[in-house]
Amino acid sequence: MIAGPANTTRGRRDWKAFLLSHEMLLLYALVGMWLFFYFAGTTTNRRGIVVGFGTLDRQFDILRHSCEIGLLALALTPVILTAGIDLSVGSLLGLCAILFGHLWQVAGLPVPVAVVLTLALGAVAGGLNAALITGLRLPPLIVTLGTYSLFRGLAEAITRGSVTYTDFPAGFLFVGQERWLGLPTQAWIFFLVALGVGLLVHRTTYGRSFRAIGFSLEGARYAGIPVARRLALVYILAGLIAAIAAIIYTARLGQAKADAGTGYELFAITAVVLGGTSIFGGKGSVVGTLLGVAAIAVLKSGLACLPVVMRMNAAEEMSGLLTGALLLLALTAGVAPKILSNLRSSSPSSSSTP
Amino acid sequence: MKRHVRELSVLGALVVLLVGLAIFAPAFYQPQPLLSLLTREAPALVVACGMACVIITRQIDISVGSVFSVCSVCAGLLAARGWPLPLVLPAAIAVGALLGSINGLLVAGLGLPSIVVTLATMVALRQGLNLIRQGEFVNLPEAVQWFGLSQTAGQLVLVGAALAVLVALSFALRHLAAGRVIYAVGSDAEASRLAGLRPQLATFLVFVFVGTLTGLAAMMNLVQSPQIQPLGGAGLELKVIAAVVVGGVAISGGRGNLWGASAGLLLLACISPALTHLRVEAYWEKAIQGTIIILAVAAEGLRGRRGGTRP
Repeated sequence: MIAGPANTTRGRRDWKAFLLSHEMLLLYALVGMWLFFYFAGTTTNRRGIVVGFGTLDRQFDILRHSCEIGLLALALTPVILTAGIDLSVGSLLGLCAILFGHLWQVAGLPVPVAVVLTLALGAVAGGLNAALITGLRLPPLIVTLGTYSLFRGLAEAITRGSVTYTDFPAGFLFVGQERWLGLPTQAWIFFLVALGVGLLVHRTTYGRSFRAIGFSLEGARYAGIPVARRLALVYILAGLIAAIAAIIYTARLGQAKADAGTGYELFAITAVVLGGTSIFGGKGSVVGTLLGVAAIAVLKSGLACLPVVMRMNAAEEMSGLLTGALLLLALTAGVAPKILSNLRSSSPSSSSTP
Repeated sequence: MKRHVRELSVLGALVVLLVGLAIFAPAFYQPQPLLSLLTREAPALVVACGMACVIITRQIDISVGSVFSVCSVCAGLLAARGWPLPLVLPAAIAVGALLGSINGLLVAGLGLPSIVVTLATMVALRQGLNLIRQGEFVNLPEAVQWFGLSQTAGQLVLVGAALAVLVALSFALRHLAAGRVIYAVGSDAEASRLAGLRPQLATFLVFVFVGTLTGLAAMMNLVQSPQIQPLGGAGLELKVIAAVVVGGVAISGGRGNLWGASAGLLLLACISPALTHLRVEAYWEKAIQGTIIILAVAAEGLRGRRGGTRP
């Protein structure tokens, strides 16, 4: 190809666009936040031991605690790319955790069998969403609102609201509480799923078809994409990943209760949207989702290490408040260029644009 | 008749449930527990009316639970300081309207998707309230209970108030210009703009309106209990959205009415007492509610079979 001056300016512009892309902006914010907490949240206690945000243990803790919500966010990324939504993943996490505990403790199955059956249940539950959404052409928001109640309700019915499954074998708890090759064990599973979803979304025709569907469902249909099958795949995959998150949750806490994962769906959706995936579908990336998950986790954990927040004993609340604010900020930043250009084009006679 | 199939089928399901209870568990029909049930659901009914308007406009508001909590705590603190109820009521409503207008500005003014905006305000408001209150309960003076009336009289006032809101709003949606604007904007915002309406303004006002009604509902809840829980509204949003959708309000906007929505709310609310009276374990409540929601929308899907209405 001809390498002229026009090409280099376009190359420069590509670089500029890349450096100002949503993911990169989020990365700057994340790094800034991390550095801030590193300097403001790390202290030395009386015995001269470094405590707080800057310790390696704390970093592993952040990783460990973000795995479950991170997995749900990964599950939701393809869903939201197709302009859908799945509110039921948190409830499904609870149902799968209960089923796993039940299979292991009451039915007496070996752990690997119980894990496989739990993953199968997750896929089947996702299949229920998929059947209602694609078979009957129902809005995903309402279908998954229904299954949100249904899955949580089944978990409560199985446990009668009170039974907690505990006493899992040490080999199983290793997945949630120990380290393997230097990192928390569940982080490897998380990275593996992230890699899988990332490849699916960005390196296969499936991923392209998700975007096409999210961009225009009818358009995708006319383009010959098997819309129903692709959508079904997305929701079944979400169910499967929610089941993986359930296993990790159970292994981390060493117990399975009916309220496992309550409210996780909202944090997962927040992470996905924060990561730049458009809630209207068609646009987004897995890297963005991972950065969104990291931003939420670092914010939460970092705030817990700040002396001023520790004195107020309000880490959870502060992080929730700031996460909400961050989400609104990210949304507003996303539409700001559009609004500015709208203002310019709709009022050409106006004297100046700020 | 055919236009109201959805509403009539929800009503039919409710009637079947009520008749079934009359046959198998006549104890359900003792006046006092029944009145208590209606009183308990009165605030949710008022919020459901507002939510129906929002969904008819093709938006959604999942922050109503948090707004409800904030309004409750604000009103509770004022009442605990000895403010008379006639002053607390407008204060609660004003707080609700203010919070609603924030949602409205972000959705209508900036054109952000309402589901994400209200998700953010829901989380922010709830955690902000937690931060300030640290989970503390507000103890109310006894004079506030049932407006200082007897319990039965107070309950009748509350149920009457909820019904009045329902009737008035239902009339307004059907016969007043403001109500028709909501349907027009929800059916097709662009067409309504071309027809000379102002969809952005309508959307903004609908969010203010649902906030207002949520403030009123918080007040209706306040007089029922001696204490205000810091997060009394948690879960209200999904309950109300479920009721509205079961009642036949289309999530894709422009369709549905308040009678269906209130029938949906009553249907979902009767499950728990029905289970008790039929001696089924109460743990099944959520699962049954979820099944009802799914059945209701599945019925819609089978009947409609119109493609391309995915929001």
